[in-house]
Amino acid sequence: KSYSQLISLKAAKSSLTTLLRQVESQSAYRFVYDRSELEGMDVSSISLKNIPIAKVMDRLTQDVPIDYEIFGTTVVLRAKAKPHTVIQQEDRDLRGLVLDEAGLPLAGASVVLQGSKRSASTDTDGKFLIRIPSEIPAVLTISYIGYMSKDVSVGQLNDLRIALSPDLAQLDQVVVIGYGTAKKTNLTGAVSTVDLKRNENAPVTNASQLLQGVEGVYVNQPGGQPGRDVATVRVRGQGTLNNNNPLVLVNGVEFPMDNVNPADIASVTVLKDAASAAIYGSRAANGVILITTKSGAAGAFQINYANYFGFQEANYLPDFVKDPIQFMRLRNQAQINEGRAVVDYSDELIEEYQAGMKSDPLTYPNNDWFKIIFGKGAVQNHGFQFSGGTDKLTHLLSLNYLSQKGAVMGTDAKRYSLNYSTQAQLTNRIKVGGVVNINYKDFNEPTAGVGNLMEMTFKAQAFHPTYLADGRYANTFIRTPGHNIYRHPLVLANEGENNTVQQRGLVNIFAEVQLPFDITYKINGAINKADDEVTKFVPDAFVYQVKTGEAQRVPYDGGNPSNRGLRKTSLGTLNTTLFQTLNWSRSFAEKHQVNALLGYSREHFSDGNFFAQNEGYLGNDLYELNAGSSNPLVGGTSTEAKMISYFGRFNYNYKEKYLLEANFRYDGSSRFAKGNQWGFFPSFSAGWRLNTEPFLKDTDWLNELKLRASYGQLGNERIELFRYVNLIALGADYPFGSTVSSGAAVLNYNDPNITWETTTMANIGVDAALFDNKLSVTVEAFRKRTSDILQTVILPQQVGSLGGPIQNIGTVDNNGVELVLGYQHKLGDVGMQLNGSVTYVKNKVVDLGGQVIYSGRRIIREGSPINSYYLIHANGIFQTEEEIANSPFQTNNTKPGYLKYEDANGDGFISESDRKISGSNIPKLTYQFNLNFNYRNFSLNSFFQGVGSVYTYAENIGAMPFWFGTSVPRKWVTDAWTPENRDASLPILTTFEGSQTENFRSSDFWLRNVAYLRLKNLQFAYDFPTEWVNKLGLSKFRIFVNAQNLFTFSGMKDFDPEKNLDGSTFYEYPTVKTYTAGLNLTF
Amino acid sequence: SNDLTINPSDQYSENTFWKSSEEAMAALTGCYRVLQDGAGSTWFLETDMITPNGLAYNESNGTDAIARGVHNSLTGLIVSRWEVAYRGIGRTNTFLSKISDVAMDEQLKSRTLGEAKFLRGLYYFYLVDCFGGVPLIVSAPDPETQSQQPRNTKEEVVAQMLQDLAEAAEVLPATYTAAADQGRATRGAALALRARILLYNERWREAAEEAKKVMDLGVYSLFDNYRALFMLENEENQEVIFNVSYQLPRFPNNFDHDIFMLNRPAPTKDLVDAYLMKDGEPITTSTQFNPARPYENRDPRLLQTVNCIGYPYNGQITTPGRVVTTGFGLKKYTSYPDNETIAIVSPNSSQINPILIRYAEVLLTYAEAQNEASGPDASVYTALNSLRQRPSVAMPTVEAGLDQEGMREVIRRERRVELAFEGIYYSDIKRWRIAEKVNNGPVYNHEGAVVSQRTFDAGRDYLWPIPADQVQLNPTLEQNPNWY
Repeated sequence: KSYSQLISLKAAKSSLTTLLRQVESQSAYRFVYDRSELEGMDVSSISLKNIPIAKVMDRLTQDVPIDYEIFGTTVVLRAKAKPHTVIQQEDRDLRGLVLDEAGLPLAGASVVLQGSKRSASTDTDGKFLIRIPSEIPAVLTISYIGYMSKDVSVGQLNDLRIALSPDLAQLDQVVVIGYGTAKKTNLTGAVSTVDLKRNENAPVTNASQLLQGVEGVYVNQPGGQPGRDVATVRVRGQGTLNNNNPLVLVNGVEFPMDNVNPADIASVTVLKDAASAAIYGSRAANGVILITTKSGAAGAFQINYANYFGFQEANYLPDFVKDPIQFMRLRNQAQINEGRAVVDYSDELIEEYQAGMKSDPLTYPNNDWFKIIFGKGAVQNHGFQFSGGTDKLTHLLSLNYLSQKGAVMGTDAKRYSLNYSTQAQLTNRIKVGGVVNINYKDFNEPTAGVGNLMEMTFKAQAFHPTYLADGRYANTFIRTPGHNIYRHPLVLANEGENNTVQQRGLVNIFAEVQLPFDITYKINGAINKADDEVTKFVPDAFVYQVKTGEAQRVPYDGGNPSNRGLRKTSLGTLNTTLFQTLNWSRSFAEKHQVNALLGYSREHFSDGNFFAQNEGYLGNDLYELNAGSSNPLVGGTSTEAKMISYFGRFNYNYKEKYLLEANFRYDGSSRFAKGNQWGFFPSFSAGWRLNTEPFLKDTDWLNELKLRASYGQLGNERIELFRYVNLIALGADYPFGSTVSSGAAVLNYNDPNITWETTTMANIGVDAALFDNKLSVTVEAFRKRTSDILQTVILPQQVGSLGGPIQNIGTVDNNGVELVLGYQHKLGDVGMQLNGSVTYVKNKVVDLGGQVIYSGRRIIREGSPINSYYLIHANGIFQTEEEIANSPFQTNNTKPGYLKYEDANGDGFISESDRKISGSNIPKLTYQFNLNFNYRNFSLNSFFQGVGSVYTYAENIGAMPFWFGTSVPRKWVTDAWTPENRDASLPILTTFEGSQTENFRSSDFWLRNVAYLRLKNLQFAYDFPTEWVNKLGLSKFRIFVNAQNLFTFSGMKDFDPEKNLDGSTFYEYPTVKTYTAGLNLTF
Repeated sequence: SNDLTINPSDQYSENTFWKSSEEAMAALTGCYRVLQDGAGSTWFLETDMITPNGLAYNESNGTDAIARGVHNSLTGLIVSRWEVAYRGIGRTNTFLSKISDVAMDEQLKSRTLGEAKFLRGLYYFYLVDCFGGVPLIVSAPDPETQSQQPRNTKEEVVAQMLQDLAEAAEVLPATYTAAADQGRATRGAALALRARILLYNERWREAAEEAKKVMDLGVYSLFDNYRALFMLENEENQEVIFNVSYQLPRFPNNFDHDIFMLNRPAPTKDLVDAYLMKDGEPITTSTQFNPARPYENRDPRLLQTVNCIGYPYNGQITTPGRVVTTGFGLKKYTSYPDNETIAIVSPNSSQINPILIRYAEVLLTYAEAQNEASGPDASVYTALNSLRQRPSVAMPTVEAGLDQEGMREVIRRERRVELAFEGIYYSDIKRWRIAEKVNNGPVYNHEGAVVSQRTFDAGRDYLWPIPADQVQLNPTLEQNPNWY
């Protein structure tokens, strides 16, 4: 390869080493030499401008007895052969150091002596030791994934320093694809890989978070509840109305991503288009995520220990009026504004409270419930990894412990995970191996649930007390209609138990046999076992009124049991997978490379659950099932599903220049009726690496240019089981007298003709790497058309109020483009990297057979994004009675200051018939970028994520003032309409109930644009110098600090914009800011 | 093998069900179950709060919005009534279309047909009462034929209801002997509901005849103690014709919590004032009335129904803080006695059965229908006086010699007082066409202060709007007058 970098050098007479350092400082070139050989060698004054390296070296060595050789960016200098240096005939040891572009050691790089079987790999310090023959020159090939391989001709040096430059386009990278691997160079589909380095040491508590930053992938992480922090992942938009989750395979077997320890993951590949995903057929329409866990490598035994410590806290909480007096006055004002005859808080009460706050804060508290319930939760993580092996046998064992206290009181989680992987080459032809992933999670939540605790915390006012003087839970004496029953947040958070233990195990074993004629047979069997046990004990907890001492039981809403009692629930899943493949790979005449794969797979899924419940406990302390005495209840059920598949791939390339691939899968699923069970999913793709053509071969600035195109079909079968047959559900029981009679009822209407959703996807892409791979660009455009889309059709309730059938109703398009840019630059010792991507996806319903599907505030209609908001348009605020009289009729309670709506159908009345399409909660634009810097041993990495305009509905507590007697957001104090403030952004202050059918009816006034840009992760790390670390008996010692969700820029001020967009309330677990620091040790 | 067929293990499919008597009975149970979703809960306790009897204060069903006349076609109570009633209708239709092919005891089969027809009639009654004519669907749910079916006239639906109930009355037993059959529809229930529907449709003669049939069954009689009539220990007593069963822990209701802790419904001064004095005179004319002690010497049903300040309830003298909404609380359908204290009942921990039809209503139906049909004859007096002379009530008999109009006023007051908060009065003020008079102005608390303002648009509010999403899903549904 030729390098075009030009060098300027101007100096008076100086030592050769000084000049070499000057060259290093202005270029990517690195010099390898024996310092003693260059000692005392000076170069006469020199003045060169924009000269290629070879000319520079010629000039530098013209005066001294030194030879040089250029290998890429490495220049090796050595003394001209001297008569006394006798060439040794024996092999000798060569030590070397492999460094990355930043001068940091590269661990695990492969060093191969050409023309031999000798190889070595670098340790975590980047050092290697290899025996080489003494004859000169010996050539070593140094390679490392993601970097360009380099051939180094070794002279007589015994120490070698080699710098690899990153292959920005990662052209030589081997990526995991369906049932195999492929060189990234030769890919013709749309495949993204996760840069795991970026997340190294970040407090990734859930593997789904790793996907943040992958182009074409949208990751929404609402809530940071320990144990329940799985992110929502969408690959290239929302193609279906059913399950939009991508298919996740761990080591080739379907397994939930969040049950993998993030530290155990070796690679993550996202298959985005039909060409790459079609081999997974009927489940691939939402994209496929392939996770490979780490396995051992041949080489010295290594131990790695990493940890981090820190804390997390709520990222964003709403801004409520907290002062009790102000709250009471505002609520009274709201009631007067809405025309109520009486207000809730009398003047005497307000005066009494004001006086009482000074003299008796126990009875008249001024509590900030956010400060009481939300706090800093400690996080710590420890991970050990033991690995090593020989050519024939490798192992890896990793253990991890994660402990999190939640930012919300009453939430915490512990996770223990184990990953063991081994592979053995039994004979030249047979390889066997196995991987065991075990994940054990134990987490606690408030007994009444997180949503309930959040809701009650948002509901609690400053006048709601904590404790009586004697430590008992206190109840307020103030009655607030709508919020009559005080669900004491401290009781909800701390009393009783709601514990979930999740055990997940994935055991995967395989054997690979080399058959004659270049055929490889592989059989892979896996068991995926999941068990959950939930223990929920509802206690009898009482609050005592601060004035009268009257006791009242705190109700635990929304669950069983509702009285003091215990419910134990056990959920079990057992999935088995067996697949076999035959792979034939051969090249002809060193030009034609052919690869073919055929496979067969069977999967069986079974789910079961049961619960037992008991009441009649003597107290809150002892609550095994056996300790209860009344109202026992049991229940349970199980389901099964099956899938049988045949699949194949044919792959051909000509000199790695012209690339062709075809895939197919033929899937049978038990989710459909006989006759509709089988589906065929083919795909085709092609690529052309233009840079290998003669006409571009010598274009210096172009390192890679590839055009690729693909077309194929994918399926989606992810609907509820048995939706093809009308079912009679049990459980509609009813008590006659004292006898409970078993009841049965049809709950849903089903359509026997349902079948797959078929997604047809076309993709074109260009990959380019320019200017010594400093700049890399990928542009993709895709057209994803989902036809026969499966949708629950809502039936008019006159048809027995049945749940509607799932039917293949229509066609939805997700068309989009992705742009990926990478740039790196080095200025002196400062390295800089910028990687970013933008994805634009446009969702549109193209065909519904003319029908319109309504569901609540959403609509599915041809020409609009799927499930668009469908709302009345609020177009201002009424200023006068005359204006009301002259406007379409709303209700007879409409007043000046109330919202004015648009009479879209012009009938003179505001009704639901005036609704219009008002936005979508599917983001059109998502973008993300990393900005990384390094300087010597310091590195600073940042990751930003953003979402373009996207909408969510906001209602209830935190959005609407005084929702059932509860909080009012502070902006209603300043921004609400009053006769003096007519230009207000908010209508006149009323209670929710007081104008439920006026200001608070469903309208686009309550739609929120939740676009944001967020600094998701910021990490600063320092690697201690190698010499220093070696003295400690270590080979690597890194320390780091990390912050997550540090800054957010968004117009959404009511709540965290990264919320569950399908939900309309704010009382969900908040997202968290996490601050951690830790270290990374390798022995 | 490549067989991909898996049969559901926890649900029956339509092909495998309807084979045995047990399965048929379970499907019938599913028809009853819907009673708990509306008839026994919101339709029962909430609707008096749309009348001068009671006040809703801060509730989520939109009841108060209806009372104030600011409701719309999305108001919770309206939307849920349509949904729940059609759920019940769908289940009974499925049952009725399948039962004929089930091999089972023919006598039992004929009884279950009667039960299902009673329930279908009842569910349609709840629709017609609020929406007028609705799509009349009497075959098993089928989207193809039923999705776009328009509304039938009210008369067509009423005719179907009366036919269903008449057929039910023919086959249903007068009583059930087995304990496990208590609460099923009886001949009396079918006849009494028929009487109610005829009354509501001003078919006076037939209504009186139908009520008389119930009276002549000899099955029902008044329970001696009005207060205890509604207590848990007296469930299924001789006055109960049809009730909705609740049972802890699986089938709870929320009556104790809503009524006592939330003061919802809160009786109004207007209702309290409607109770006569012990001398049989209204408070406006009676010499017994003492404004300083307004609850003394009243029709005993007042303090047996309403929790008044200064009187004992749950073992405590009621303070204004207990009944903040209007200064009155409801006692009916709570577990709390007057003179003892029991622990506060948690939300969703009550199991008293709300009585949808009781004998007292039949007597009142008879009295009203007979008076309208042929004037205040002796049988009208007998019916009313039996209520007045219930041992725990012991009021003077109705003044003799009233004309038809005078008797009408007596019957209406008696009906309001006797059946207060039993889900009847909202229908009454509509069918008497008095809603725009009685429910169109201020609502007063015990001190006479205005606590709420009602409006009732006579051109619009006698019918509820068809829920907006239903009109959207089935555009052939014609909206009610002056609703959009």
